[in-house]
Amino acid sequence: MFITDYIKDVFGAMKSLGTGLKRTLYYFTHHKEIITQQYPDNRATLVLPDRFKGEVVMPHDEKNEHRCTGCTACELACPNGTIKVVTKFDITPEGKKKKAIDKLVYHLELCTMCNLCIVACPSDAIKMAQTFEHSVFDRSQLTKVLNKPGSKIMEGVE
Amino acid sequence: MGASDVIFYLLAAMTVTFAVLSVTTRQIFRAAIYLLFTLIGVAGIYFWMQFEFIAAVQIVVYVGGIVVLIIFSILLTQQAGEKMAQPPLKRKLFSALAAICGAALILVQVLNYTFKPTTEEAIATNVKSIGTQLLNIDATGWALPFEVISILLLASMVGCIVIAMREKGNLKI
Amino acid sequence: MYERIITVLPVKKIKEKKQNITVWSFADISKTIDQWLNDWVGATWATVFEMVIAGVCVIGLFALLGLVLVIMERKVAAWIQIRLGPNRVGPKGMLQSLADTVKLLVKEGMTPDGADKFLFNLAPFIAMIVAMLLMAPIAFAKDFQMWDLNVGVLYISAVSSISVISILMAGWASNNKYSLLGAMRSGAQIVSYELSAGLSVLAIVVLTGSLSLTDIIQSQQNGWWIFKGHIPVIIAFITFIIAVTAETNRAPFDLAEAESELTAGFHTEYSGMKFALFFLAEYVNVFIVCAIGATLFLGGWMPFHIGSWEGFNHVMDYIPSSIWFFGKTFFLIFLIMWFRWTFPRLRIDQLLNLEWKYLLPISMINLLLVTVMAIMGWHF
Repeated sequence: MFITDYIKDVFGAMKSLGTGLKRTLYYFTHHKEIITQQYPDNRATLVLPDRFKGEVVMPHDEKNEHRCTGCTACELACPNGTIKVVTKFDITPEGKKKKAIDKLVYHLELCTMCNLCIVACPSDAIKMAQTFEHSVFDRSQLTKVLNKPGSKIMEGVE
Repeated sequence: MGASDVIFYLLAAMTVTFAVLSVTTRQIFRAAIYLLFTLIGVAGIYFWMQFEFIAAVQIVVYVGGIVVLIIFSILLTQQAGEKMAQPPLKRKLFSALAAICGAALILVQVLNYTFKPTTEEAIATNVKSIGTQLLNIDATGWALPFEVISILLLASMVGCIVIAMREKGNLKI
Repeated sequence: MYERIITVLPVKKIKEKKQNITVWSFADISKTIDQWLNDWVGATWATVFEMVIAGVCVIGLFALLGLVLVIMERKVAAWIQIRLGPNRVGPKGMLQSLADTVKLLVKEGMTPDGADKFLFNLAPFIAMIVAMLLMAPIAFAKDFQMWDLNVGVLYISAVSSISVISILMAGWASNNKYSLLGAMRSGAQIVSYELSAGLSVLAIVVLTGSLSLTDIIQSQQNGWWIFKGHIPVIIAFITFIIAVTAETNRAPFDLAEAESELTAGFHTEYSGMKFALFFLAEYVNVFIVCAIGATLFLGGWMPFHIGSWEGFNHVMDYIPSSIWFFGKTFFLIFLIMWFRWTFPRLRIDQLLNLEWKYLLPISMINLLLVTVMAIMGWHF
């Protein structure tokens, strides 16, 4: 009937509004739930979520070795040309030529942190770091070379 | 001349000035705003006379109701920043004539009426006495006009609904 | 005659009823000042001086309210949204709104080229003047009222209907389509919600039998109306709160300034101090409607009394009446802020449906119920 529907409508609306009000009152009175990070003050204790992506880095081990084979899969996967792989040919002890990276150039100013290069990498050579204080005074400083000078590929990574 | 008179003349001057401005301005929205000030001035005079109820009703009905409706229709129909065309001379003359006739009529009535001086206590104009008087069915009561006016309003409301109602056959908008 | 028209400072007679209220009152101080002024400069100038004093008090209260309410709103919003809110300027960020005011003061107040300059500059002042006029009949404490007129409730609903004019004026004079749309929306909104606000106020008027705010407060000496009047008064209170939230153009009814659709509605073109006046007028209007709600439903400055418990009532009287008034008012302001930060904005058709299909019929039937209750004497 019309009138019962109407009354049901009114009470249903009141109930649902009450649910919302209850939730916000809970947050209003429970200040320990506050999620604000007071960033520059809490730099020492700042904890970022696991999935936060700041920039692409190439991890090196203590012998200054990385895992990059220079396959350019990351360069192909990148949607906006952030990564440029410059390859060279090393001579192996057996006298064979082997492809390796000279420089892996990374343009931070173009990067959107989409993670596609990390997914595309077959040898897990690059990963996302959690650094985020990227401001510099000169744009050219944002163009980075990811492999350290004098580094070479790790044993057994093909 | 006491302070009371000063207040009266200020209110009267405000009412008259804005009334004149509202008919002479050529920007239609400004005319509505000047009309608003005129009506507020009239309400101020009611307040000055201590008829608070009438003054408040003046504001509710004229300022809150009628002027808002006028402004609404201006918003819906007019373009901002445009001036109205100068009215033809004939229309100006006739409207001046009509205004002068109306003012003369009121003046004649007021001047012919003899205000009897009285020493009696002024009749209290509180809301209670206005209410009882309005719905009184005695010879001095106003129940009949009150009801007649409410029937008039009802009729106009029904008329609005009839005009706004869509016929069942053509539901195309 | 004019002394009675503009009774500026509270010199009205205290209506002693059957109970003796021992609440401390301002009447002695104001009487002393009035007496002293009268002896010093005579009746006319005393009135003028009293008007000036009252005007300065109102302006001071405005400035203070603006600062307090803005910081309160920002803190409430932050805590509801699990944030910290302003916390840099002053202790715990309490001086943030002061800093904002200084910023707004030194900003340039621009007038757009195509605007109607006179109306554009007039509109913020109309908003402020209306807010000031509404302060007049509010009883801030026992015997602390600027103008005790016998149609107080009607006066408030009358004068508050002028505030829509300032919005319409600002919207039209800006010569901007967003402003015009905002003005039209707020016009439709305020005109329709005034009805249910008025009807819910009438419920209390019916129970009290008077339009004067003093009488309404006096009638709550043995308990506030929201407790004395059972369910119908509670329904009236709920409709009142919803309607005044809409009337003051606050979220979830802020269609007039909907920043996501109309940039800022009627005050898109305003900057600097002219914008600040609109902003201030909005907050003062919130304060006023909450003060009216507190006066009508929660007893104004009247302490919490229960029927004939003399001892309990006596204890409650020790708390000053101004604290009662401001406590209740700020409770209602918090309620309105709580609504604002909980509910999403309504669409214009939902807004009008809510008023014409739900609030208006409910408050009309409710008014009938209250009338029956008042005639039969079913309330306490």
